[in-house]
Amino acid sequence: MNWPDLSMGGYGFYVWGSYLFSLIAIVWELVSLNHRKKAQSRAQKRVSPGIFERNY
Amino acid sequence: MNIYKYASPTMFYPLAGKIIPWFAWPAGILFALGIFVGFFIAPTDFQQGDAYRIIFIHVPASWLAMFLYVLMALYAGVGWAFNARLASMMASSLSITGAMFTFLSLVTGAFWGKPTWGTWWVWDARMTSTLILLFLYIGFISLQSSIDDARRADRAGAVLALVGVINVPIIYFSVQWWNTLHQGATIRILQKPTIHGSMLWAMLIMLAACWLYSVAVVLIRLRCIILEREQNARAFAEVAV
Repeated sequence: MNWPDLSMGGYGFYVWGSYLFSLIAIVWELVSLNHRKKAQSRAQKRVSPGIFERNY
Repeated sequence: MNIYKYASPTMFYPLAGKIIPWFAWPAGILFALGIFVGFFIAPTDFQQGDAYRIIFIHVPASWLAMFLYVLMALYAGVGWAFNARLASMMASSLSITGAMFTFLSLVTGAFWGKPTWGTWWVWDARMTSTLILLFLYIGFISLQSSIDDARRADRAGAVLALVGVINVPIIYFSVQWWNTLHQGATIRILQKPTIHGSMLWAMLIMLAACWLYSVAVVLIRLRCIILEREQNARAFAEVAV
């Protein structure tokens, strides 16, 4: 096992930058999905009984 | 067991809920393992130094960007041809994760390009065709969200997705067809890989992690889409939840 040099031999900005960007993208996707789920469940709760039966 | 019953969104909804953890948890474990192998086991490259470690996220992101597009076009085509609602919903769900991986592929590629080529971006065949892939994903998502009628949106999206699939082999073979700045493929199915074993393992583990993550996220989004699109939500909820 090799302990990595945190400066990545002078390429730290590029290596850590790319991983940080990837982490941000993944977290953004998970957070936006969570918001969508919450908004969806709120919308379901708001719907009063009988509305769907009238429409369909 | 009749598996065709799962072609119905109502029947697939609870099944998706059950299988999501089987993809989400292994994805997290494999991400951690891939980072560990990539940073602690894989040696420093003698030409690129430690800058090469970007490949452990760049290559899986690029492969998934292409693969998810083909899968999205396939589902969109099946949804269009057979009027299969679940397939069209799956295509919609895949598009956002595919766009995210394409964006990641371009950004991590720029981070790799600057130290190795001396530039963040060039209008190279591989990079330009990948940028076109991102525009195709954005076009698909925008087109679907701009049409109120879900069935019409699915059909319009399917046409765009199927036409755009021609771009995937262009991306893949661009490094062979044109004289590009981007390096050729290091891993080929029928040939021995030209990189160190631990580098290859780190890349394959990260690929598996990204793939499992994609399945989990796509299924979570698919469940949202199913609920959003099902018109009789009350009756649906009674059956599915």
